[in-house]
Amino acid sequence: MKRRTLHALAATTAASLLLAGCGGGSEAAQNEPFDPDEPVTLTVSVWNLAGTPEFQALFDAYQEARPNVTIEPVDILADDYPTKVTTMLAGGDSTDVIAVKSLMDYSKFSTAGQLQDVTELAEGAGDLGGLDAYEQDGTYFALPYRQDFWVNYYNKGIFDAVGEEYPADLTWDEYVDLAQRITEKAAAAGIEPAEGTKTYGTFTQPWRSAVGAIAAAQTGGDQLGSDGYEFFAPYYERALQLQESGATLDYSTATTQQITYRTMFTTGQAAMVPMGTWFTSALLQSQAAGETDVEWGIAPMPQPEAGGETVTFGGPTAFAVNRNAEHSGAARDFLEWAAGEEGAKAVAATGILPALQTQEIKDAYLSLEGIPTDDLTREALAPDEVALEMPVGPTTAQVEQVLTEEHQLIMTGSASVDETLENMAERVENEVG
Amino acid sequence: MAAPAPPLARPVTPSATTYSNRSQVRRNTLLGWSFILPNFAGFALLTLVPVVATFGIAFTKWNAYSTPEFTGLDNFTRLVQDDNFRVALFNTVYYTVGHVPLTMAASLLLALALNRKLRGVAFFRTAAFFPYITSIVAVAVVWNMLYNPTQGPINQFLLSLGFEDPPGWTSDPSWAMPAVILTGVWKDMGYYMILFLAGLQTIPPELHEAAKVDGANAFQRFRNVTLPCLRPTTFFVLIMLTIGSFKVFDLIVVMTDGGPGRSTLVLSQLIYREGIVNGRFGYSSAVALALFLLVLVVTVAQYARNKRLEA
Repeated sequence: MKRRTLHALAATTAASLLLAGCGGGSEAAQNEPFDPDEPVTLTVSVWNLAGTPEFQALFDAYQEARPNVTIEPVDILADDYPTKVTTMLAGGDSTDVIAVKSLMDYSKFSTAGQLQDVTELAEGAGDLGGLDAYEQDGTYFALPYRQDFWVNYYNKGIFDAVGEEYPADLTWDEYVDLAQRITEKAAAAGIEPAEGTKTYGTFTQPWRSAVGAIAAAQTGGDQLGSDGYEFFAPYYERALQLQESGATLDYSTATTQQITYRTMFTTGQAAMVPMGTWFTSALLQSQAAGETDVEWGIAPMPQPEAGGETVTFGGPTAFAVNRNAEHSGAARDFLEWAAGEEGAKAVAATGILPALQTQEIKDAYLSLEGIPTDDLTREALAPDEVALEMPVGPTTAQVEQVLTEEHQLIMTGSASVDETLENMAERVENEVG
Repeated sequence: MAAPAPPLARPVTPSATTYSNRSQVRRNTLLGWSFILPNFAGFALLTLVPVVATFGIAFTKWNAYSTPEFTGLDNFTRLVQDDNFRVALFNTVYYTVGHVPLTMAASLLLALALNRKLRGVAFFRTAAFFPYITSIVAVAVVWNMLYNPTQGPINQFLLSLGFEDPPGWTSDPSWAMPAVILTGVWKDMGYYMILFLAGLQTIPPELHEAAKVDGANAFQRFRNVTLPCLRPTTFFVLIMLTIGSFKVFDLIVVMTDGGPGRSTLVLSQLIYREGIVNGRFGYSSAVALALFLLVLVVTVAQYARNKRLEA
């Protein structure tokens, strides 16, 4: 008797392990209809729920619109998010909706066949910013709900104090000059944000994208290295010039002390900070919490030449439906809703730019308390072109690794720009693939 | 594992002896197994099986989603040509060659200094042990601040001593590895100091007295009494340190993450990157096998040398 129970137990365990491993095909589940009366608990994987207000805003608004749905967020540490979700999906996890943090992750999950085809929803969606990035041979596996791009945040107080005009229509050379001038003037005027600190003209975030992605966007260079990396050169030279002249906190200090753009800007230590539009949301939060009294504005990114189009870079963020989702119908409904007008409004209310940007939504965004309403800000939020931060392909992750390593060498001043860029091209050619 | 039957249980007749002994032995064996079972089950499931699986996966192409596809020696051919592997191998050896002797010297010195009766010795021993139990992330963050090339206390101190061009430490490719090694030594020396202390206390004081009577000075006594008596401890510390250094991961990841450039990229990090991040578990397993072989060869060599010295 006992032995039989044991055997049965073992068999069940083995069977369930097998099932879990295979994950079960759910092609049929894709057509599962959404029943608005049946109570559903929808699980959604998110990163850093407490620090990413648009998630909660979306969930609250969605639950209000669909009273039968209860959303259960699966909160994951932001740094571990890609790894953790990869592991979950590979293990046949049945979380319904997956928030896709980057296009690189998207490419990984969709080529592995872990996401449901949502082409139908994508075709029915309005004019979504960044939707094209999710197209794979005419098929879509995710719908963007958020679209960020880089702008130039500036501290009006510092500009007023040193008597400089706000940074409208800057070229990169003018930007470097301006940053150096502000640094000198602030030092001469004795502006000290706090005891023993200094006011810098700008702050270059140590990320590789802060130099490389903007260079690719504005020169049309290919970051996957098909024509070498010479197009990075002027951008790296300016970054080094800024740091050598002391107009920005140097790379080594920023990385070893783990100093963030947020600290530099909200404590008034940097007059300008080129950064993604998500920073607005963080600034609004800081203001509401009384952590900063910096009066700020948004200007467009500096451009290579005066008078041309305003080109910047950025990227969309999307939701996708897990292939093994337990509630496919509700999950697909959530995707459609989040990318639609109601979702966009909920996202915009947190200071994050939604993917759907109708005039109405833009107005709602600009009427948020604390957002600057001057013309320069309006101009900055309507760039002519938003290039993708990094082209998506099977080699993207590997190329990114090489570019990041070489970026560190340039920014720490360990090797010359030209030599490193040549190495970059050589390494990408030899190692990637 | 199975304890011998207690002598009291020995019965009178020979046939009964065998029977009773046997059942006793069996019971004890089962008892022993049941004690180690919880630990062993966890070890087998989470360590043994994956380790054994590595040997198979290394010969396949597998991204964790697909069915592994046998590719023969492809992963190893690639390993030989991979520049990242070469760099990581060099860095791992560099770290080990720096970390092992320095930690041994530092922990032995500490143990010698604290192996005497002086006021507050318990306090100093605790203080020396503290880095070992401090969270590695806290250690990395604080040391990174100390190493800051412009505002860090280390370089401020060097500047005040008159060094005009102090090293860039973790932000300079040629100084990053020494910086990490130094932090590793600081963190680990307390633990090995405890081992050495225990070893020192097993040395009979008579030997030192006899040497003293024979006119040996302090250094001669250290060389000819302390060191030979410490050999078993030294050997154990050497083995543990070598294995620990070859598989260094956490310290590097939180301090430099392999940078600047690839100057501190080590093998275990490459394994993580290829497997968990890039999803190439086959190639990642091949790198893991290479690391395993490296550790195995060095450890066997150390055992062989120890045996020769003992003989």
